[in-house]
Amino acid sequence: MVTITEGAVVALLAGGVFFGLVAAVGLLRLPDLYTRTHAASKTDTLGAGLTLAAVAVVYDAGLPTVKAGLLLVFLLITNPTAAHAIARAAADQGIEPWTAEDGGDEQ
Amino acid sequence: MTSGRLLVPVSESVALRNTVAYAVRHVVESKAAEGAVHFVYPYSPQMVTGMDTSGVDELLERVEVWADDDLGDDAGAVDVQTAVIGAGEYLFSPGDYADVLAEYGEREDLETVVLDPEFSPSGTTPLLPPLEAELERAGFEVLEAPVERPTRRARLVRGGNVGQFLLVAALSFGFYLLIGGSLSTFDLVTGGLSGVIVATVLWRVCFSGPVRPGRLLKRIGRMSVYTFYLVWEIVIANLQIAYVVLHPRLPIDPKMVEFDAAVWSEIPVTTLANSITLTPGTLTVDVDSQSFTVHSLTAGARDDLFSGGLERAVRFVFYGRAAARIPSPRERGEEGSDDGGAES
Repeated sequence: MVTITEGAVVALLAGGVFFGLVAAVGLLRLPDLYTRTHAASKTDTLGAGLTLAAVAVVYDAGLPTVKAGLLLVFLLITNPTAAHAIARAAADQGIEPWTAEDGGDEQ
Repeated sequence: MTSGRLLVPVSESVALRNTVAYAVRHVVESKAAEGAVHFVYPYSPQMVTGMDTSGVDELLERVEVWADDDLGDDAGAVDVQTAVIGAGEYLFSPGDYADVLAEYGEREDLETVVLDPEFSPSGTTPLLPPLEAELERAGFEVLEAPVERPTRRARLVRGGNVGQFLLVAALSFGFYLLIGGSLSTFDLVTGGLSGVIVATVLWRVCFSGPVRPGRLLKRIGRMSVYTFYLVWEIVIANLQIAYVVLHPRLPIDPKMVEFDAAVWSEIPVTTLANSITLTPGTLTVDVDSQSFTVHSLTAGARDDLFSGGLERAVRFVFYGRAAARIPSPRERGEEGSDDGGAES
């Protein structure tokens, strides 16, 4: 018998795994640094966020829930900052972004 | 004001490559009809005993190659010349250097001098500030090539008051207890000590202005509303990106776009930049005061960006409800500038 809590935890974890997977697939399939940064930084944020939400649900209303919430906040602040740092460093190096016109031979 | 005819004294220096690039860029950007850069080596046989002129020629040759490199397609529009000046004269004081430079500059009709920040033909003597003054007196406009990309930043350490100190200490103390999860005497004491240490170090860094509790609480309230909105946006946009990434044909259309955001001051701009990055499909690449360079993955993401939902929400958080009604980037006509590309 699956309780509501267990169901919620499973659903959240499944979502977290799904978006983590999407991030990995995006990292492999996308053509250049900028687009890959998109995949690596953000789909990941939601994936990690859902996983943390699952943790919070498991511990109900205890202290670990608060900590999970704090972790989520830090993730939301640091993840885009890191992505921005990478993209900006790339732009400073003069790396041109890939555009649809460059492609076409994408296999 | 910016002149297209430059005089650049050169000597062996670590910043020379940079200076050449700066001078060439300056001329190209001035779009002068008769753009010219003259690289001159103030050379005095008396100064450098036993030195061979081949070193000087080699240096000037190198400079010329660099300049041609930097000019690229504009090579025809700008006249690049190199020369050794001051041969046979006794160059010692900054005044001597200024004299030979001024003489050459007047002969060649040059109005602006670009100085290498590391320019020191006479070895270790600090020459630059007096030389700059002498040249300005001789009627030249003097520019100093920046050592690196110019950065503008506000002062990190600001004035503070007791209220700020106490607030930082209290927040640190509270955070310590929250993470520790106990209220034993030991934790209370160590937490108090940590709070005071943190506050001592950081109280003048943490706030951008005096604390006004009322306004702060209001902002925190609006910030929590904003967080829910942001999370919702993140979820929606993530689903879109998941669709794009998993789609067999990978229907992406990445593009750099630039726009001026209608938010002001540090924290709101940072919040908006980070929110843009968090919302999948858009990635803030660079921010220069209000001007954002954003890399967007799909046309849909660009659309969302220009309809300005996030921008409006950030204004709501920091300036209240009235500011949310400022027109979106699309209505302001910012959308036209999406051919920016990634320059430099």
